[in-house]
Amino acid sequence: MSKISTTQVREHVKELLTFSNETKKRNFLETVELQVGLKNYDPQRDKRFSGSLRLPQVPRPNMNLCIFGDAFDVDRAKSLGIDAMSVDDLKKLNKNKKLIKKLAKKYNSFIASDVLIKQVPRLLGPQLSKAGKFPTPVSHNDDLYSKVTDVKSTIKFQLKKVLCLAVAIGNVEMEEDVLVNQIMMAVNFLVSLLKKNWQNVGSLVIKSSMGPSYRLY
Amino acid sequence: MVRRQRAAILPNNIILLQNLVRRDPKSYEEEFLQQYSHYQSLRDIYLSDANSGNEGADEFGELIGFVSSVCQCFPQETKQFPSDLNSLLINNYKELDVDLREKIIQCLVMLRNKNVISPEFLIQTIFPLLISQETSIANIKQLRKQIYQTLISLLKAVNVGSKNQKLNRSTQALLFNLLEQQTTQGLWATRLTRELWRRGIWDDSRTVEIMTHAALHPDVKVSIAGVKFFLGADKERDEAQDSDDEEEPDLAQLKHQAQITKKTGKKAKKLETALKTLKKKGSAKHSATYLNFSAIHLLRDPQGFADELFSKQLQGKRANKYSLEQKIDIVNLVSRLIGTHKLTCLGIYTFLLKFLTPKQQDVTQFMAAAAQASHDLVPPESITIVVKKIADEFISDGVATEVAAAGLNTVREILARAPLAIDADLLQDLTEYKGSKAKSVMMAARSLITLYREVAPEMLARKDRGKEASMGMKSGSRKGLPQFGMDSAFTNSNDLALLAQWKEEHKDDDKVGDEWEVEEDEEEEESDGGEWVNIDEDTEAKTEAKASGKKRAYEDDDSDLELSDDEQNIDKNKNSNQDSNMDQVQKLLSSDILTPADFAKLHELKTKAGVEKIMGQSIFGLNEQQVESSKLVGSTKYKQNKEERLAHVKAGRDEDAHGSRRGKREGEHSTTNKEKARKKNFLMTIHKRGVQSKNKMALRDKQKVLRAHIDKQKKKGH
Repeated sequence: MSKISTTQVREHVKELLTFSNETKKRNFLETVELQVGLKNYDPQRDKRFSGSLRLPQVPRPNMNLCIFGDAFDVDRAKSLGIDAMSVDDLKKLNKNKKLIKKLAKKYNSFIASDVLIKQVPRLLGPQLSKAGKFPTPVSHNDDLYSKVTDVKSTIKFQLKKVLCLAVAIGNVEMEEDVLVNQIMMAVNFLVSLLKKNWQNVGSLVIKSSMGPSYRLY
Repeated sequence: MVRRQRAAILPNNIILLQNLVRRDPKSYEEEFLQQYSHYQSLRDIYLSDANSGNEGADEFGELIGFVSSVCQCFPQETKQFPSDLNSLLINNYKELDVDLREKIIQCLVMLRNKNVISPEFLIQTIFPLLISQETSIANIKQLRKQIYQTLISLLKAVNVGSKNQKLNRSTQALLFNLLEQQTTQGLWATRLTRELWRRGIWDDSRTVEIMTHAALHPDVKVSIAGVKFFLGADKERDEAQDSDDEEEPDLAQLKHQAQITKKTGKKAKKLETALKTLKKKGSAKHSATYLNFSAIHLLRDPQGFADELFSKQLQGKRANKYSLEQKIDIVNLVSRLIGTHKLTCLGIYTFLLKFLTPKQQDVTQFMAAAAQASHDLVPPESITIVVKKIADEFISDGVATEVAAAGLNTVREILARAPLAIDADLLQDLTEYKGSKAKSVMMAARSLITLYREVAPEMLARKDRGKEASMGMKSGSRKGLPQFGMDSAFTNSNDLALLAQWKEEHKDDDKVGDEWEVEEDEEEEESDGGEWVNIDEDTEAKTEAKASGKKRAYEDDDSDLELSDDEQNIDKNKNSNQDSNMDQVQKLLSSDILTPADFAKLHELKTKAGVEKIMGQSIFGLNEQQVESSKLVGSTKYKQNKEERLAHVKAGRDEDAHGSRRGKREGEHSTTNKEKARKKNFLMTIHKRGVQSKNKMALRDKQKVLRAHIDKQKKKGH
């Protein structure tokens, strides 16, 4: 049996929500984060894992996106009110490292039309993938809006140079049930990614941006 | 009288004096001061004119040894002593006598061990000597060796237990400066770093940064040393750590000895310390937070490093300085960097083209590099030219089988990492080689087919697709051609879907009326209402999935039938199928925390579901793996001569891994008491009480013993 149960998670979520919504409400929308400490993990023998999961709800609604598109996609993006750039705009950057870095910093993630995406590495160089923001492709048949929510609600687990990782799984304006649901999905998925499952998990902690942390496991 | 005599010889017998001073510093202060002033006068002579004093070197060395071994007793008087040695060494090391120089360094180490001087002081004193470029000094090699070993053991000593970050940093700064100077002496920086990495003393990203500087060094020797570090140091470190494991005391033997030999306090203590060291070792290396990242993972700026390495060492003017072997090493490193970190370095693919011909020396190494350098974020056109070149040059009917096999294997390795880098026509041409008479070529072509059955069966000829893949294509559980830029991160939704399905069935089998179920349903409805707009279709899909029976195959059959019924239904069917999968997974993930038991079941289901799933996993994370150039050629069988055959037979005979270990001795040892008891003559034991009492046992006891025996035998598996 694992040491973690749904009721326990629910209690912690309740505490977390009361703290950030009532005890000390902040002037911005606080994000709820899941922090994971791993153990017994040998990055040389076991492969570094990475996995992405689509959550039912968008954890960070204020995330900003940019679309690299052809004329059709640029129009669609404008009608949705999302920033868009055409090929010419990208060519104007002229492979200028600083400008591209600035662009990568400005947005949380990128989407590109599938006709254009093959040119992205040539046009923008390595800067985007270096920042971990390589665009996701979208075709003309796809519904752009659903693609955007898709991208927004997808979370990615990836091991970097340290044995811990954190991922945003919701915000404090979500319902308790929804938040519990999101946390459970993320936890279950992460544990299924690990080689020795629960034996690799050192700790699980949830925390809102400014609030105290609550240890789940 | 005796005492007087001794006092008389004391000024000449320094070793005796040393012993006495250490025992009782106060009463011998006078003698010490006398010797010290003698030392000072000799030192002044040396400082003024080192050449003249060479005949008194022995005496001077003895005096230095004496002062340094007793100087902790007179800290006030000998305050100047370390800095004296320092200036003597730094200013006059060129002229000093070889033995005296060695002695001075030894004494400095001794002072460090006594904590008279700090490790920083020691390093600052001897490091300039290591990197001095004077070749005219006598025995310079010996000197450098001594200093090198001193430095290593010093750094090892200060990093025992917790790491001494301050000293590590200052030493690393020295090495950085050394590499900045762009001289051949930079080699010492690489040697030191590599050795310390091998021993696990330095294992952070600063260390790796030193080696990146070395790899970009203009000097050939230094840069190759840097490159080789990235290619081989991690293996070295692993091996070193494994051999460390072997050194630890044999606990079983110690415990056994403790039982049979005389019990003394000393032996008990020995066992205790052995236990302690074992525990310590285990905790340090196998502790939960121990991390051994490879050097390549710890790079701070892999993109910049790869770019610079490629443009400076392989393309610029410097490229001509390297021999082919060295070039191969650099190419190998650049390609591994690109693969591991998924970098964009588009120049390397065209660079590799000119080396990819069958007549090129060591061509397999270049092929391995081509494979390592490909990953899914490179624009497919760049890799396609490499694939085409290999196909043109290596794979045709006119070439030798090894060449064709190597070509096909390389193409497979490349495509496993970047499946889009080939068009269907070329792929189908290549897969035609599955009918080749040469086994290695046939195997290579087949492995290419298996790969594409997994990734993109649409690109294969119809007959090559195989049952699973074509059924998958029809039922729509496959997502079609992979798209460039699609997130390659692993989503194991398929595996989770298996578990979800199993749970569903399980629930149907025995309805456990828990409160759990109710709660779960509520939650699910909420999430459904929040997210899935078309609930009708979802529920439809779910009922369909339930009705479709226990195995997935049935489900597939169902959808097949429907397909033939109604062509227009295809799209909807595909959608609903995927949706139901997703839905199930989501329900599973959000319903409860998965327990270890669940994961065990999941593993079981995965293995049951077939080898394809396991293979599918192996493709993930491939970009970080090294391609063995020797394996690209494949197995070629030559006829063995008689000696080889005999050797083969002998190897088979020696192998006694099979069969029971029973009755065989583990290692050399004398007869154990058990063995002796078993072999003892029966007539000698029959009168013993232990044997006789068996006869006199009550029936009940006899039964008990018999039952116990039978149970034991059953447990053993007889």
